[in-house]
Amino acid sequence: MTRLGVVFWCVLVAVAGFTTFKVKYAVQDIEDQLNRVRRHTIAEQQEIRVLTAEWTYLTQPERLADLNRRFLQLAPIAARQMQRTIADIPLRAPAAPAAPPAGPPDVPPDFVAGVNSDPDAPPTPADALATTPAALTVTPAAAPSPAGALPAVPAAPAPTVPGPTALGPGVAKPGSLDALVALMVTPAAAAAPAAPIPAGAKPATRVQLAKAGPAPTPGALDALIAQIADTR
Amino acid sequence: MRSLQRVEENPCRPRHFRPPPPCTPVIADERASALLETCRTRLVATAALFAVVFVVVMLRLAEIVLLSGGSAESHVGRIRPVAPPLPMRADIVDRNGRLLATTLDSPSLYADPRQILDADEATRAITSVLTQLDPAELHAKLTSGKSFAWIKRRLTPRQQYAVNRLGIPGLQFEHEERRIYPFGDLAAHVVGFCGIDNVGLAGIERALDKQVKGAPGPIQLSLDARVQFILHEELTRVIADFSAKGAAGIIMDVRTGEIVAMTSLPDFDPNHPGRGDAKLSPAEAKDRVFNKITLGAYELGSVFKTFNTAMALDSGVATMTKQYDAAHDIKIGRFTISDYHGKHRALSVPEIYMYSSNIGSARMALEAGAERQRNFLDKLGLLKPVPIEFDEVAKPHYPRHWREVNVITIAYGHGISVTPLHAITAVSAVVNGGILRTPTLHKLPPGSVQPGERVMSEKTSDQMRKLMRLVVEFGTAKLAAAPGYVVGGKTGTAEKNVGGHYVEKKLLSDFVGAFPMQDPKYAFLLLVDEPHPNKQSHGYATAGWTVVPAASRIIQRIAPLLGVQPVDEASPAITRALAVESLQGKKIETY
Repeated sequence: MTRLGVVFWCVLVAVAGFTTFKVKYAVQDIEDQLNRVRRHTIAEQQEIRVLTAEWTYLTQPERLADLNRRFLQLAPIAARQMQRTIADIPLRAPAAPAAPPAGPPDVPPDFVAGVNSDPDAPPTPADALATTPAALTVTPAAAPSPAGALPAVPAAPAPTVPGPTALGPGVAKPGSLDALVALMVTPAAAAAPAAPIPAGAKPATRVQLAKAGPAPTPGALDALIAQIADTR
Repeated sequence: MRSLQRVEENPCRPRHFRPPPPCTPVIADERASALLETCRTRLVATAALFAVVFVVVMLRLAEIVLLSGGSAESHVGRIRPVAPPLPMRADIVDRNGRLLATTLDSPSLYADPRQILDADEATRAITSVLTQLDPAELHAKLTSGKSFAWIKRRLTPRQQYAVNRLGIPGLQFEHEERRIYPFGDLAAHVVGFCGIDNVGLAGIERALDKQVKGAPGPIQLSLDARVQFILHEELTRVIADFSAKGAAGIIMDVRTGEIVAMTSLPDFDPNHPGRGDAKLSPAEAKDRVFNKITLGAYELGSVFKTFNTAMALDSGVATMTKQYDAAHDIKIGRFTISDYHGKHRALSVPEIYMYSSNIGSARMALEAGAERQRNFLDKLGLLKPVPIEFDEVAKPHYPRHWREVNVITIAYGHGISVTPLHAITAVSAVVNGGILRTPTLHKLPPGSVQPGERVMSEKTSDQMRKLMRLVVEFGTAKLAAAPGYVVGGKTGTAEKNVGGHYVEKKLLSDFVGAFPMQDPKYAFLLLVDEPHPNKQSHGYATAGWTVVPAASRIIQRIAPLLGVQPVDEASPAITRALAVESLQGKKIETY
């Protein structure tokens, strides 16, 4: 009986010791892991700080204005380009005349009337395009593309944008950046385009935007810091 | 016994050796043998235990060394816990989170030349990365035999990475922090700048030095970098167009008192303040750091007629239909008060304001009296420094003894100097329904409103809005019209007082207003210092031709960004809201 007890206690001690040993090392492992992650986090945070500063430096309104002047020529949104009420937004015009033989019951009549009575409301999509904010009517043909400055832009991108070219140069006022800034900083703040855009136009515009965006100058912030270092 | 004898007989035995007495023979006692047995068992058990432990250790060793190729994780080189290093100064961001000021690690590179093994190789490697360095000079430093030599201060993160990659022993980095203003001069006067020891010396950096140092997160200002840029750009254009000495502008949210943009030109680059062009004289450099909005006290001229008219209307002295004689000049002492564009007839209160009649305003003020005028201006906060976050705030200048002549001149904005910040704060109260709110540079949580102080009735505020709209429709500020945004305001052109005399050619033109007038959201003040006429302005340098067109351009650009919905200005709802009854049906002469 005593012997059994002794064996039991011995085993218990051994097990307890071993468990403590195991747990201690497991905890140490986890702590190491935690510290490693913390270090990484801090390193990443530092990196993010630098990148944020660099991003801010590269998206200075002044620089964006200059880039806009050179490549995009977007104009600020004029008051006449903004729709004032929901009724000003035209319905899908071409489909409309054919569709309602019996009259859609879910469209309130005054709503339809509001659309028609508003002189500002564009009746056809072609006209609707005219009220599209100039922010989206990119006119690549008008952009002076210096050969050396912008190798990425295809030589003749004009055919990809069907409609807006007609309107572009007259409306687009060089040197205005607001639309671009609005797009980049807080998209919600800039009034969203109210008029519908034909399906083909928008993707083409996007491509243009993507291509026209110049490659970020590496080390632009470096230049700033270097400048500071030199002057202090 | 025999054995003992044998030992004693042994001649070689040690001298003192005495063999122990012979043991008593063990008697095979049952209890004793049981005890012995127990001991034996215990010894065996212990030995077995040790054997097992050693076997385990051996197996483990064999496993680590032989089987897993020595790759088992070491518990030796433990990673020490790290406390996240807080930057010495928190970031400053605008209301949309755009960075206005940040602190970056800016390491400096130094060498311990005694540890450099191969100076030639090191020189070649370092100059390949830091191309600006002079190889000969660097080589001299590396072979100097001293224990410390700066190689380059303030490396960029990229350069630091490149140097690290070279892996040259003996090169070390000293970590330093550097304040960076990525937007440069854009909000220079608001954000301010830091000295070399990272102590704020101007602007918010100075005023909120403690907060900036202790904040765990970024400090958010009420500024909007986009609006700030537009204001900055348009004012720069005004300076260029009219070859002016300087300009300043401020835009304020009239509902909360938040300052959305504030610019004073010429300005400076906070990344290296007080330096800029080497051509600048010290006086010019000082002028750049001077914030005209908060530090410059100016006689703002006719803009004060806004406060004068509000005072007369609110106190009940005047009504919208009351007429004052504006046909005859006022003579008081050696002064004669006359109108710039006299109509030479009796004018009603809206006409006095619209045509900016000095005579009419003076008569209104005289009727109200000195005490009322003084109390009203005091209530609007125009007689004490503006309680904004800044340290750099000027006191207004006004006569200690408020005599009759002062009453007259103050009615049209002379003989009292206030900062543009004073004026816009007061104008915000005039248009927002009569509540004076402390201007602030902190972004307020959306929807929250600071407690304000009622300084005039809502009715007076409503009437003043109509009058200000009238000025843009028919008066001196017609060029401020921004279609859809219902601008209203009041111009002012004052001759600058130099050494006690008003100088005719040195003007200060300003325009203060708000939009949209049917429900004002933002107030603005633009000011240009010593503009010179140009061809487009038909030889004028007055506010109506200088800052007023700029106001129109600014509003048309910022309104979409600020979420102000354009309205149809000709719609009945708007015209009804802003119609002046007494002028209805009359033909209004334009200014």
